[in-house]
This record gives sequence, C-alpha cells and structure tokens, in this order.
Amino acid sequence: MNQLKFNFKPAAIVMIGALSLLSLHGFAEDKKTEPAPPPTNSGINQESTFPQIASGKWTGPFLPDGQPDVQGFWSNTIANHNNFTDPQGGIPGSGRAPKTPREQRAPSRVSDPASGEVPFQPWALEKVKEFQAHFHDPVEQQWVEPLARCAPGGVPKSFYWHGYEIRQYPGYVFFYFNSGTRLIHLNKKNHLPDNIKLWNGDSYGHWEGNTLVVDVKNHNGKALFGRTGEFISENGHIQERFIFSPDRKRFNYVAVFTDPTVYTKPFTVTIPARRWTENDEPNGWHFEVGQAKHKGKNVILEGEERICAENNAAFGMGAQ
Amino acid sequence: MSVFSQPLARKFRQLIPAAVVSLAFIAGTAIAKDDIPRLKGKPDFSGFWQTTSAANYDLEPHSNRVDAPPGPGIVEGQFIPYLPQALEQKKKNFEDRAKADPATKGWTLGTPRGIYYPAPFQILQRPQDVTILFQFGHSVRTIHTNGTDHPEESLDTWLGDSRGHWEGDTLVVDVKNFNDKTWLDSAGNFHSDAFHVVERWKFLDKNTIEYKATLEDPQVFSRPFDISVILHRHREKNFQLIEDYRFTLDYDQYYPPKPDNK
Repeated sequence: MNQLKFNFKPAAIVMIGALSLLSLHGFAEDKKTEPAPPPTNSGINQESTFPQIASGKWTGPFLPDGQPDVQGFWSNTIANHNNFTDPQGGIPGSGRAPKTPREQRAPSRVSDPASGEVPFQPWALEKVKEFQAHFHDPVEQQWVEPLARCAPGGVPKSFYWHGYEIRQYPGYVFFYFNSGTRLIHLNKKNHLPDNIKLWNGDSYGHWEGNTLVVDVKNHNGKALFGRTGEFISENGHIQERFIFSPDRKRFNYVAVFTDPTVYTKPFTVTIPARRWTENDEPNGWHFEVGQAKHKGKNVILEGEERICAENNAAFGMGAQ
Repeated sequence: MSVFSQPLARKFRQLIPAAVVSLAFIAGTAIAKDDIPRLKGKPDFSGFWQTTSAANYDLEPHSNRVDAPPGPGIVEGQFIPYLPQALEQKKKNFEDRAKADPATKGWTLGTPRGIYYPAPFQILQRPQDVTILFQFGHSVRTIHTNGTDHPEESLDTWLGDSRGHWEGDTLVVDVKNFNDKTWLDSAGNFHSDAFHVVERWKFLDKNTIEYKATLEDPQVFSRPFDISVILHRHREKNFQLIEDYRFTLDYDQYYPPKPDNK
C-alpha cells in the first residue's frame, strides 16, 4: 500500500481542486439553500494568516497524569514543505509563478528575524542555493530531498508534511507523523550522549500551563526543512514551544533554532496547526483518517499505518 | 526398623516449619500475581520489552550457521507445516537470505517477527489501544482495544490490522490485512497476504510476558500452527529506545551539507 503520498503530483492536486470547485459551483447553482462546505476542506493551503496564541493557564481538560489533554489529529494550516520561507510560494525553479502577490500569501515560517530569512552563514547559504538550483534535476545525491527517499521528516518538517496524531501517556507525548515518529520524554532532564545522532533528534520536555516546552538535541542534521533545502547541523539545538489554545482547536509551534556552525544567530520558526475532528470531511492531505467499524453509534476515528516503502525515488528521478 | 527412624523423624519435624514457610511463599506468589501493573483494571504492558530467544534466526530448531546462533525453535511441534510448493519457496528464500531477507534492507519487520527480533520495543498503553514502538525502523503498530473490528476494506499493511480484546488478564489480538513483503525470520520462513495471526499476551510476572501466537495462511501452511516466546522487561537505569531508521543508511552520507573544505 502506498502509505506516503509522495506521488501526490501537483498537477493532480490542481485537477482535484479544480474539479471540486467546478462541482461546488454547479452544486451551489442548483441548490442555493444548501450551505457551502467549510473552506477548510479544500486543499493543502487552509489559510494565509493565523492568530497568535498566548502562553498561559490551561483551561481545557486534563489527563489522569495531569497533562493537558491535546490528543487527536492535527495538521498545519498553511502549506506543505515546498517552500520553507515562502510557504505558499511554490517550489523555486518550478517554472510556475505564484498566483498571488507575496503579501497575500502566508508569512515566512521564520518569524524572527523580521526579514523572514534563515540567518545562514555564507557557506551554508551557498549550499542551500545549490540545492534549490538542482532540486528539479538532482544529478548528485545530496540534491535529493531525503523525504522523497522515505527518510523521516525530522524537525521541523514533520509539522508540515501531512496530518499527524498526538497520543499522550504518563511521561510521554507521542507524535505519530506521516513519515517518522517522535517521542517527547517528560521524565528526563538529560539528552543522549552527544555522539548519538538521530533524524528526529532527542527530545525532553515539560508542560507550562497550555504550553509544551521541549528541548531537542542530537540531530543528525539530515532531514532538511523542505524542498528549498534549509538545514540544521549535528550541532544544532532547538527549543520548542507548543502553545495550545484553550478551546483545543489550534496550537502554534514556536521554536528557536540555534547552531553556531550553520547560522550567524538564533532564529524563530512559527508553524500554525489546527485540530481535525469527526466534524470535518476527510482531506486527502491533512486528514487521512477513517471511521472505525464498530457496533456503537459514536464516531471513532483512526489513522492508517504509516510506513513508507514506495515512491522511493528522487523528485525529478534524476539521481542514480 | 521403622521407615521413620528416629533421626529421620526428627528431621521431618524440622522440615515442617520450612514447609510452612514454603506454603506461605507460594501463597505470597499467588498474591504477587496481582502485583502486575494495571490500567483501568486491565494488565498494563507499558515498558520496554525484548526476547532472549534465537527465534528471529529461525523459528524451527536449527544448528549454528555463519549468520546465526543455534536455537531450539519456538514452533509447537517443532516444524512449520508448509504446503509442498511453499516449502520449495522457503528453501529458496534460505539460500537467498543474505540479500532477500527484508530485515537486512531495514524494512519493517512485520507481525509477529517484530516481537521476537533481537531489539527492544516500547509499549505505550491507553484504555482504547496498545501502541508498539519498535526500535528497529522506529515503526509503529497500533492494537485497537476499543471494541472496533477490522475495516471492511482489506488494505494490505506491513504490520497487519490489529484488533484486541481481553480474556481475563490475557490480551487476545486478531491480526490480518497483511502484505506479503515481510518474513517470519532470517531463515526465509514466510507468509502470503492471506496471513492471519491470533496473538495472546499474558504477564507471567510483572517483568515477564508470555507471548503466544497462532499463525494461519492457507496459501502457505497446510494447517495453523503455534509459536511461543518469553519477553523480558528492560530494567536498566535510564533505558530508552534509540530510533533506528536503518533503511536510511544507504544515503546517510549525502546529508547534511558541509563546508567544501571539510
């Protein structure tokens, strides 16, 4: 089974989007009294602006072990991993210009500095430009986006690669991503020995009211941030804050990235996310979740197995 | 002379207190059975588990070989009841195992192999499901324990679709909807996509699980057969899984970017 939608071809997305718009259009003309489906089910880009969420007291339900209960299905609201700093701007070099001016598109995921750019050291910026120049023609191995080879999405890309599930246990917050899995340890205060390097890094954290505060080290630096090639190295340090809204409908991921070998200074990444529930229509990208078969009348949601085994080839199929 | 000669009778009397102590110990053990961790009344398997068995190298009894230690096997009745054609395939798999074993490529081990592969896995448990996080491949298997059934649509999966229920303190799991890409061990024992597994998970004590499974596949086996392994809890200080995405090792060297002179 094709677990990951790597062959989710942009043309097909456009086609599906166009067809659904056409059918909606026809539908609206025929039955004007029917309410239009919510706009949240119409593709990957759900919104271009999003609210700030303040850190503070958690007023929602708690789990027996005292954690705020944030379990369920989530996905980012603005875009996939095509472009890290211009999330709705498409893949650079694709030959397809964005349809809207920059100010109408979602802001850069780099929320600080104000330029929206990653403060790369000159050598690292050169590498990123090289990657972008060769993305559609990856004649060398390092220009293949590793996710296209079934590699785990890593930090932070996993937060904008399809929807994902959060499960919570005493001592753990478990992120079940489309490609890869992250376990946040709540009962430890030390990272693994420095020589151990991991696709998702090593994470420990704690709750401060509505905010899950997580410290991440031990990256292997290999996951890249998207099809635009931004990266962190093995020496990177990421300090994450998952700030959940009291109504449990949204959270903002706000993280400070530090790496003296790649960046000139720390910078902040912000990724908005929303919850998907049984009240939402399935969405082939954000919400690939079905209803479990059972005798009761209540809806029980469940996701599919996430194992990448197919489409194990580069974007552009250029590298051998 | 009486069989209970004087000295022996004296010794027997001396044994009585010891027997009382033993009985108390047995009774204590019976009480200790309830010492197993529980979650909402059901056994809680949360923790890190691993077998010491050599089952992964061959489910059947086997001598040592260059790529495996010997082992007595874990199949009830010792040998897998293959259909004739399937046995030929198994022999071919064995010959080709260095390249054909999915585990050597870092692919998901499947069910039940992931349970007795010689690497730890972590169980994370909620009332509605049991999540198994395997260190090997960092893959995730969910056993639904919320009264739900297999989906109508038969989707092929690597780890199978797992629906569990409790029979007393035993977790009984029905697993189907498999693909045919996983093996049962590194000796080439295999199954088709008609594979069906029924697992039984039971605490022997709080640090030991008895894992039994009935394996059925009308395309490969002439009848269902049973396997059984013991799983031990990892209790080392600060033990944790270390993600092992070994299928990425082939292209590991190309990332991340490095300065040109390094």
